[in-house]
Amino acid sequence: MGFWLELAASGLITGGIYAVVAMGLNLQYGLMRIMNISHGEFLMVGAYLTWWAQTILQVNPLVFLPVVALMLFVLGLLVYRLCFRPIARTAANAEVVEARSLLVAFGLMFIVQNLAYLVWGADLRGYTFLSDSVEIGGARFGANRLLVFGFALAASLALLAALKFTLFGKAVRAMMQSPTGAQLVGIDTAVLHPAVFGAGIALAGVAGALLSMVYEISPSMGEPYTVTALIVITLGGLGSAGGCLAGGLLLGLVEAFGMHFTSPSLKMLLSYGVFILVLLARPRGLFAR
Amino acid sequence: MSLSLRWKALAVALLVAAGANAFAQDAPVRIGYAIARTGPWATGAQVSQEPNYIMWADQVNAAGGLNVKGKKRKVELVGYDDRSETETVVRTYEKLMTSDKVDLILPPWGTGANFAVLPLITKHGYPMLAPTATGRKLLQLKSPYFFALLQQPDVMMDALAEYLAARSTKTVAFIHVDELFGLEQASALEASLKEKKIQIVAKKSYPMGVKDLQPVLNEMKSLNPDAFVSLSYPPDTFLVTGQSKAIAFNPKVFYAAVGTAFPVYRDKMGAMVEGVMGLGTWNPKSSPAAKAYFDAHVAKFKKEPDRWASAHAWAGLQILQQAVEKAGVDRKAVRDYIAANEFDTVIGKIRFKGGENISTPGVVSQWQSGEFEVVWPPQRSTSASLYPKPAFK
Repeated sequence: MGFWLELAASGLITGGIYAVVAMGLNLQYGLMRIMNISHGEFLMVGAYLTWWAQTILQVNPLVFLPVVALMLFVLGLLVYRLCFRPIARTAANAEVVEARSLLVAFGLMFIVQNLAYLVWGADLRGYTFLSDSVEIGGARFGANRLLVFGFALAASLALLAALKFTLFGKAVRAMMQSPTGAQLVGIDTAVLHPAVFGAGIALAGVAGALLSMVYEISPSMGEPYTVTALIVITLGGLGSAGGCLAGGLLLGLVEAFGMHFTSPSLKMLLSYGVFILVLLARPRGLFAR
Repeated sequence: MSLSLRWKALAVALLVAAGANAFAQDAPVRIGYAIARTGPWATGAQVSQEPNYIMWADQVNAAGGLNVKGKKRKVELVGYDDRSETETVVRTYEKLMTSDKVDLILPPWGTGANFAVLPLITKHGYPMLAPTATGRKLLQLKSPYFFALLQQPDVMMDALAEYLAARSTKTVAFIHVDELFGLEQASALEASLKEKKIQIVAKKSYPMGVKDLQPVLNEMKSLNPDAFVSLSYPPDTFLVTGQSKAIAFNPKVFYAAVGTAFPVYRDKMGAMVEGVMGLGTWNPKSSPAAKAYFDAHVAKFKKEPDRWASAHAWAGLQILQQAVEKAGVDRKAVRDYIAANEFDTVIGKIRFKGGENISTPGVVSQWQSGEFEVVWPPQRSTSASLYPKPAFK
């Protein structure tokens, strides 16, 4: 495989990681307008649970993935009940939900982060998993990164299909368009709303579990990921599963090629440059509905 | 007076004396500091620095207190979380010095935070022995109260260049983080390599928080340098190691700056670290004192100290303790004593000149079977170096 293909593949893999990070927030903010700025914190919790399972119980992180998803889903339901249900119930429209949830999630961010400091301490943590390289057409990539990329593709496509083709997906989309209308046609929004929120938290946790296989973890790791997630979902178009994947991959590619042609130090400039260009051309994102 | 009455009188007198003695015991020596317990700096501060403060205070108090010119006084630590914010660091030290009026201070974590409090310690006259601040820029401010325990970048890079020259290295490729620390290390490395007539075949910078360096590493690999040097911070040090392994980039010398000395580097990367070199100073094999320090740290915190700055932090506390014993808590006298004398510490003798620790030499360390062995300079070595570095496992 030529040098360019290798560069592109490296960018796509990193882009896949960005997409995985963004998926959970895409459900919450993209579809439900809940501005969960503490997204990265739940990602961090997922990473720590996986690290715990790996180092204390010697559980394979891949096997543990569904457990993390389930635990975070339940945690998500709880958080929804405590923090976001009152907002969703009393807010007059989506803008109000957005503004109020931002404030609540901001506080939630501090609480979750400080709980992590209490439980796990401030030290860097990590473990080695699938660090061997896989050779594809002469180029070599870390197996753990490929795994994250594969998951990003599979999960995005599954989400896309679920929202588009299943009755459940239809119900979710209906609820987003008009909560009252959805209730009138018999959609149980009192169940569906928390469930979608919980799924968002679960996806954040799964992303954290996957990232813990690649990067080292600390209680303060979440915030930068929240920023990445916001850029990716805005780039791709809010609420669009395909856009989320496309946005992540685009960012990854721009960074890989940009780092090669200019200096790695210009990474931020390049990422934000693309972000601004896309928003100028398509203010609602690449895949806006 | 009967005998028994006399005994009783004596007993009462003794009791009174004892009570008076208890009351007469001096107030504790209050030592204040702000350090990151939360936020991105906490990962470094909670490994290299604050555990040492706590362990030192406990040990001193268990031994009856701090010897202040022959009088034992307990130590009371007044520690605050700076939340990894420079403003909070400055505000907290201002409060410690002007409103809490602590007797002495201990430094915050990191070059940036130390830089920020430098004007305050100079203004209020608090001596500060910094174990995690490095850079000529700090010393150029010429604060009479600032003492840098860590080796300066040029000292460390000279040691690396000497090692490379001793191994007849011809070519070096390096990357550095685009930030004060990385920039200064990079220019120091360039100067050191030039002096040893070692060719730099590639040089690239990268930003903090980078998530992928494979394109850069591929480029470096294609140039096939004898040595690769990554002047990086902990997250990137891990990234560079993992991705170099993935692309099978196996130069004869693989060096990564900050983070290699952390025990978590070995724990997270596993067999990959074998033969990786980095910034270090010591390990438990360096001396009996180092071993005692290591064992006490593990016993107290159930975690190992790092093999670079941790021992410098401990050395700073030892120096402060020795200075207070001679000079009391008069801060000007403590400062003058530190500036004028040589001290025995866990990392050997230390003497300061212009605020710089001129006794601890530049060191190159290397991971070998689970220990970060000192491999250069020869007089400090705890093991011979593995050269060439074995391929990543």
